[in-house]
Amino acid sequence: MAAVEIPRDEQAFLEYVQSGGQVETTDWMPEDYRKKLIKFIEMHGNSELMGVLPEREWILRAPTLQRKLALTAKVQDEVGHAQLIYRVVEDLGKPREQCLADLVDGKAKFHNVFHYPTQSWGDVGVIAWLVDAAAIISQKALLKCSYAPYARIMKKICWEESFHILHGRDVILAMVTGTPAQFELVQEALDRWWGPLMQFHGNPIPADEDPMFLWRIKSQGNEEARQQFLDGYVPQIHELGLTVPDPKLHKRDDGVWEYTEPDWDELKHVVTGHGPKTEERLAFRRRFLEQEQWVRDVVLAA
Amino acid sequence: MNEQVLLGLADDELVLGWRESEWTGIAPLLEEDVAFSSIAQNEIGHARAVYELIVGEDGDADALAFDRKLDEYRCSPLVELHLLEWAHTIARRWLYEVADEIRITALKDDPDTAVAGLAAKIDREEAYHRMHAEMWHDRLGDEPRFQAAVEDLWPYAVGMLPEGLRADLAVRTGLDLPSNNLLQGHERGTHTPELAPLWDEMTIVRRSAPTGAQW
Repeated sequence: MAAVEIPRDEQAFLEYVQSGGQVETTDWMPEDYRKKLIKFIEMHGNSELMGVLPEREWILRAPTLQRKLALTAKVQDEVGHAQLIYRVVEDLGKPREQCLADLVDGKAKFHNVFHYPTQSWGDVGVIAWLVDAAAIISQKALLKCSYAPYARIMKKICWEESFHILHGRDVILAMVTGTPAQFELVQEALDRWWGPLMQFHGNPIPADEDPMFLWRIKSQGNEEARQQFLDGYVPQIHELGLTVPDPKLHKRDDGVWEYTEPDWDELKHVVTGHGPKTEERLAFRRRFLEQEQWVRDVVLAA
Repeated sequence: MNEQVLLGLADDELVLGWRESEWTGIAPLLEEDVAFSSIAQNEIGHARAVYELIVGEDGDADALAFDRKLDEYRCSPLVELHLLEWAHTIARRWLYEVADEIRITALKDDPDTAVAGLAAKIDREEAYHRMHAEMWHDRLGDEPRFQAAVEDLWPYAVGMLPEGLRADLAVRTGLDLPSNNLLQGHERGTHTPELAPLWDEMTIVRRSAPTGAQW
């Protein structure tokens, strides 16, 4: 394949990526683009890693051997994703150690949903089914990312995530068809998670004003992603006999979902490090990072 | 085949897999987070296969794994210990894998072909765990805190095996067998105080619904 000439001028580069052009690690790129890429991809890596901490508690409590195996496999995938993603960030100029240090120091962000507590086995199902479903919609919008190395690893990641959704749906299905108390655990979990789920794709800023869309790091706007999520999953939620805790939620005749305005202040508050579990989870990681520094020293000295 | 021996194997793998899952998200290197999830997964998979063999085709492996009384568990004190600290965690991994290989090798010669077949299958996966444990043993071998951890856990490792297999463990590890006095409280058949809180947490969801509920 003939090498594509990447324009060495910011405006021309912007037009290049907007017309579907892709960039490799060694290509020239505007500093602003590189910074945005690092910020975006690093947050993705952090989210994969922080997402396993709430699951950790439930691997230990999983009620059957099969569920325990499935959850363990899921977190193995997720840490594996974090590994791949941090490698992409590293190639862009920020070392993994620095990403991990910034994460525990509260200098870097991770997704809103991983700042909340998990209270029951119902939460485990809702997270694996609906949080992962919301995440996969965002991730599919990265398959065409203008930064080619990121787009390539997303193929593997999306493929594995699709299994997590099946696992989540199966956990939910077993419970909604189980005892009334089990059904109630799922409904309560849905009630708890609906707010964070509606905030997950971000505020509805027009795609043209979203820098991540402008640089074609992602290929769709926030509201488009949320609509896709509602369209795909609200009917399934209803099918299981569950109630979405939003009386305003309905699909208009033109196919657009209307809903109660999500709490954007809460989203901002949470992702800037003030979620109900933010500090506890970061402190937990920090504790072991410090406790086992000697291990990394031994390995690096070898 | 002595069912108690099989139960000892399955309970060891279940409880050790549980302990290794405690490292989820907090291992000293991301690579080890992946490795420990993978090892824990294999251990729990082995436990399930052995429970299934014990209960037979129509039996309930989950009930056997989770619904027994504490004193009916046959796991060894070694796997029960709460060790969220890398030197001891790796010392246990290494000692466990050496002892486990001796036990599995003996089971591969079992006259019951179902047992021998399953042991051979488990052995193939354990080979990777042994490589991982050996790699860490080599890396940390010169570290005083790792040597101290091995010394701490050695009586427990010996207590994992029946008397007839212990001499082989001493040869393979290069360590001297402890006196009977030192083995007290470390041998299979007794439990440490750390098993009860583990079992409580492991079964908390399961116990929240009536027996027989589907999860």
